[in-house]
Amino acid sequence: MGGPAYDCLTNPLGAVRFSFVNALSSGYDPASSVGKDWGVLDLFRHYFSDESAISQVPILDSSSINWVQPNTLVRFRGMIQDMLGNEFYAGAYKDGSTWRTNKYCDVSQFPEGSSTEMQVWERRLLYCIPVPGQNQWTECPSQELKNRFLDLTGQNREKRVRVDEEMTDSLESSTLEAGINGSPFKKMKVGEATSSASESQVPQISGIPPATSTDALTCLVKIYDSPESELKLNDVVEFLGVLTFDPIAMMDTDSLDVISDDLSEAESVQMPSRKVPRLHCLVHRKLETQHFLHGSSLLPEPKSPQIFKEIRESLMKYLSGLLGNDHIAAQFLLLHLLSKVHGRVDNVAVGKLSLNLIHLNKESMSVFGTRLGDALKSLLPFTQSIPLTIEYLNTASLGPKKDYGLNRLMPGVLQIADGTHLILDETELQAGTLNSVGVENANLLKNLLECQKVEYDFQYYKMEMATDVQMLIFSEGKSNIMPADLVLPFQPSQVNQLEVITPETAEAWRCYLATCKSLSHSIGQELQQVVEKDLVAARQTDRSLGSQDLSRLLTMARMISVSYGETTLSLEHWQMVLELERLRKERLK
Amino acid sequence: MKDHDFDGDKVLAKDFLENFTDANDRSKYLEILQEVSNRKIRAIQVDLDDLLNYNDDIGELAGRVTANTRRYVSIFSAAIDELLPEPTEAFPDDDHDILMTQRAEDVNDNADVPDPHQQIPSEVKRFYEVYFKAASKVKTSTIREVKASHIGQLVKISGIVTRCSDVKPLMAVAVYTCEDCGHEIYQEVTSRVFMPLFKCPSSRCRLNSKAGNPILQLRASKFLKFQEAKMQELAEHVPKGHIPRSMTVHLRGELTRKVSPGDVVEFSGIFLPIPYTGFKALRAGLVADTYLEATSVTHFKKKYEEYEFQKDEEEQIARLAEDGDIYNKLSRSLAPEIYGHEDIKKALLLLLVGAPHRQLKDGMKIRGDVHICLMGDPGVAKSQLLKHIINVAPRGVYTTGKGSSGVGLTAAVMRDQVTNEMVLEGGALVLADMGICAIDEFDKMDESDRTAIHEVMEQQTVSIAKAGITTSLNARTAVLAAANPAWGRYDLRRTPAENINLPPALLSRFDLLWLILDRADMDSDLELAKHVLHVHQTEESPALGFEPLEPNILRAYISAARRSSPFVPVELEEYIATAYSSIRQEEAKSNTPHSYTTVRTLLSILRISAALARLRFSESVAQSDVDEALRLMQMSKISLYADDRQKAGLDAISDTYSIIRDEAARSNKTHVSYANALNWISRKGYSEAQLKECLEEYAALNVWQIDPNTFDIRFI
Repeated sequence: MGGPAYDCLTNPLGAVRFSFVNALSSGYDPASSVGKDWGVLDLFRHYFSDESAISQVPILDSSSINWVQPNTLVRFRGMIQDMLGNEFYAGAYKDGSTWRTNKYCDVSQFPEGSSTEMQVWERRLLYCIPVPGQNQWTECPSQELKNRFLDLTGQNREKRVRVDEEMTDSLESSTLEAGINGSPFKKMKVGEATSSASESQVPQISGIPPATSTDALTCLVKIYDSPESELKLNDVVEFLGVLTFDPIAMMDTDSLDVISDDLSEAESVQMPSRKVPRLHCLVHRKLETQHFLHGSSLLPEPKSPQIFKEIRESLMKYLSGLLGNDHIAAQFLLLHLLSKVHGRVDNVAVGKLSLNLIHLNKESMSVFGTRLGDALKSLLPFTQSIPLTIEYLNTASLGPKKDYGLNRLMPGVLQIADGTHLILDETELQAGTLNSVGVENANLLKNLLECQKVEYDFQYYKMEMATDVQMLIFSEGKSNIMPADLVLPFQPSQVNQLEVITPETAEAWRCYLATCKSLSHSIGQELQQVVEKDLVAARQTDRSLGSQDLSRLLTMARMISVSYGETTLSLEHWQMVLELERLRKERLK
Repeated sequence: MKDHDFDGDKVLAKDFLENFTDANDRSKYLEILQEVSNRKIRAIQVDLDDLLNYNDDIGELAGRVTANTRRYVSIFSAAIDELLPEPTEAFPDDDHDILMTQRAEDVNDNADVPDPHQQIPSEVKRFYEVYFKAASKVKTSTIREVKASHIGQLVKISGIVTRCSDVKPLMAVAVYTCEDCGHEIYQEVTSRVFMPLFKCPSSRCRLNSKAGNPILQLRASKFLKFQEAKMQELAEHVPKGHIPRSMTVHLRGELTRKVSPGDVVEFSGIFLPIPYTGFKALRAGLVADTYLEATSVTHFKKKYEEYEFQKDEEEQIARLAEDGDIYNKLSRSLAPEIYGHEDIKKALLLLLVGAPHRQLKDGMKIRGDVHICLMGDPGVAKSQLLKHIINVAPRGVYTTGKGSSGVGLTAAVMRDQVTNEMVLEGGALVLADMGICAIDEFDKMDESDRTAIHEVMEQQTVSIAKAGITTSLNARTAVLAAANPAWGRYDLRRTPAENINLPPALLSRFDLLWLILDRADMDSDLELAKHVLHVHQTEESPALGFEPLEPNILRAYISAARRSSPFVPVELEEYIATAYSSIRQEEAKSNTPHSYTTVRTLLSILRISAALARLRFSESVAQSDVDEALRLMQMSKISLYADDRQKAGLDAISDTYSIIRDEAARSNKTHVSYANALNWISRKGYSEAQLKECLEEYAALNVWQIDPNTFDIRFI
């Protein structure tokens, strides 16, 4: 065969089988391998070693599901919402005297009964949802990709059929034949493919679990050959793998197994594959903010502090404009936006910096709050907001809870990806009574603020999951329900006209924020002495300062440093911190 | 390799069952078989430990049993069939036996051509079940660790039961009778569904070329009790950032109704795939659900008294006990991440250890549990200490004063939803029976709720007289409370009684009331600043300077210590009595006493001393124990005393001197050891540095001489 025998993009399973045959000839023994990789991973890793190859792969979302072909390679970007445990499958079996593999497939290529020997292998199931609160700008433009993809499949069609005939049975190729024009997905999804842009915006406030909302595409990802520790709950991951659907389940999902009793739960019953596509993952990677930026990568390292300074200045101007020329609030807001949990020591989350803007009422909230919310949406990849009303607290399910009936983790509003920005609006809170749910929810929020941890309710015990959320609180007086790190009275002087920002500037700001967040930081020997002295002096003068307050000052110092693109603290920046703190204290009086 | 000699194994199994003798030289299995045949029991549990101990040949058999358990259940059953002795006791024939006799005759009657469906499967005849119990040496795995390679094997898994189905009958052998020929036809059922027979397979029907008409006979068929349960990984087995996994467990026969949701259990069982049936099977067996067919269930015990030492723990404890200084070492290992508070940790260690309960001849009980109340300014890590203690204790309940009403703490009478009967439900204190109950925000509790605790703390019972139920529940629990002073922070301008703000009746029940004040102090501030800086720089805690003991070692040591019950020797009675009376007198002198000294205080001294003696594994209380107990009681108010002295106008040095002089005069000695002196002055709230200063100053005045090496004092 001249040229590549397979096309990784459109016929990944062919590639898998081809390499399996190769591996067999070089001594790979399926009987003893327990399904270990035989070189497929290297093949695909090599193929997708650079960004441009990856961008060729269509992203699976609620619009692309209509035209993407089953058994082709797709990408899915999402958050791991639940882990369904292991699935055991017949990984390899003997067809006559040759071994065949079912790895990366849902359905056997060969009819049953033909196999005498069978090896049971296992794979892990992850239930993934679109990242809660994902903002529009992070979307990839899919239209262009779609055209390209359709071209590609059209071109390769003939060749692929030929390859298929050699390597697979007729089942697959026939579905492919039928696929181009009359994709089974298309039938299901008539009328749903209206607007792709607004679709991926998860309803921000709703407490409805994403699994049931119609427009968010969830995905059941099957993981092979990767250590368990690599993927954790709530990670934002890009999976690259084979999309499959189950033709039998597609035809007839209504005929539930009659004899299935109350304890057996078949995942296919709860998650029919027409709603939840399956993705057999070949390659995966964790996503950081920079992966969502288009084209531009991170800013160069601190070599050019001038660039940082310029962007910082323009961003500061924009922020203080948003905040009605309150420069101090803008300073604090910037620091707040750069905060991120760097580490956890005992019970302290180092690096968190929640901000509580007080002296806001309903009227000013409607002006500044909404504007700020919109601005953050365009700057950060994931934002959420929670209105704190008695009714909301009493009814919403903030903490995730295990439902043993369904054997699923029911998502709560607070099951969010690391790095999400959360706005809590307390201005609408009225006096009232909290019921037990309300008290629980308030405790969850408080715990999140203080320790950056969310308690997941497993009924028989609770488990604390570490989360990294930037929390911004709006309230009239100092919020006692939500004890933030920083409390700042908000003093706008005027309401400015909304500035129009060009996409380029927005991109630069996003890039700036992402870069600053990722910078490392240290404090030099000499400055340590100074800082130590200042901290002791501060505590001597004000006994109410606790370790949290000292910790907060150091966090602020770090944020100021990195906001100038510097990785070590300078005396100047430390004095800025003390000055900011003094100004804040003055306002509080 | 695949072709094991199964018949040979059957012979081995027979030999083992017949000849195995346990440690007491009794044929364990023959006795069981006799019981079975007398219809006393139904379950035969074959312990793989026994198989391993029997002899080496069979040791290999044990390995084969582990790897291919299902098969060996039938091999052992066949062996038992042959071995089963005649019943030695008469028992009334039940339906089943009558049926069996009938069948035996039938077989003789129509000696037809042997026909697989007509032979009585041995399964029908058996009235026992064989279970294997995994060897105790095998490591208990978590659900996560069970992999595809374990399929078909005997595994041991620990977890928490989350759901249980009802017990249902499961058909093991379906029996039909044919309307045409009258034959009984047997069909063994191995999966969850079976296809009923529609054609009579007997030779007579076949000869007559009739289809026959087999009718399912429910009374003749054999059914097993069957229950399905779900178990889930324990919280401590779940890696960070992961979700607990769960597994289906099938319980059959005698194992049903052994577990209920919420139980922490260890299952031995066979890990098996469920063959998909019907529609699902069309998916070509690509995916399989798996389940665990349980063969034995062990409930975890969580009491000190039932604590079983792991293999090397006993050794480690012995090493620790020899090491000396165990008191410091253990107490430091409590909440190592919380800086300082050494004496509080010591007190908490004693709370974990406790003193022995005493029951007097006249039936009066004296509690041994040490109650401690931590009172202090906000932000001194009280709650964290509480939570940590709960984690170390094998049985602990954490609750907050606000979050629990009196009913929630003690017990509530509830109406059962289903049966409409009144039932008792234990509250936090009852649940913590034989353990520790930590109550945070003790001061914020309603007065009415707090009174409920009075009884628990002294009588150690909860009495209920509600809705026609009068009863008394045990609540032998050590109470660890945390509270804030009356005005949130300790107000030094007010009297201690005003600040503490708990009624004397309650206060006197605490053996130790620890006041932790957050005072302005350059050193501690610097320490704090350094700590915070370090944390920010390196994102880890500063080195502790010592290796804290693992919680499980701590737990093991404490449970070992709790086994001894020390007594107070006669010689010490005098000493304790004087100490007690001096505390009383001191309190009488002061117009704003820091404590309420009652007879309970005397008991507290004894309790704390006994706990200290327990730590040394000693059977008698030593004077050093009493001294330490008195010191702890003094240290608990240290932050107040220093202040008092200043008010009294005496400078620290001269006061230290007068303490040492008074004590020396009281014991009529001119020679005082440094350790004693330190003990005395620290009881009054002075530091070692102050003692040294005092020693130097008065040595210069030629009041006493100081030994240059040992710092012992000799009055001139």
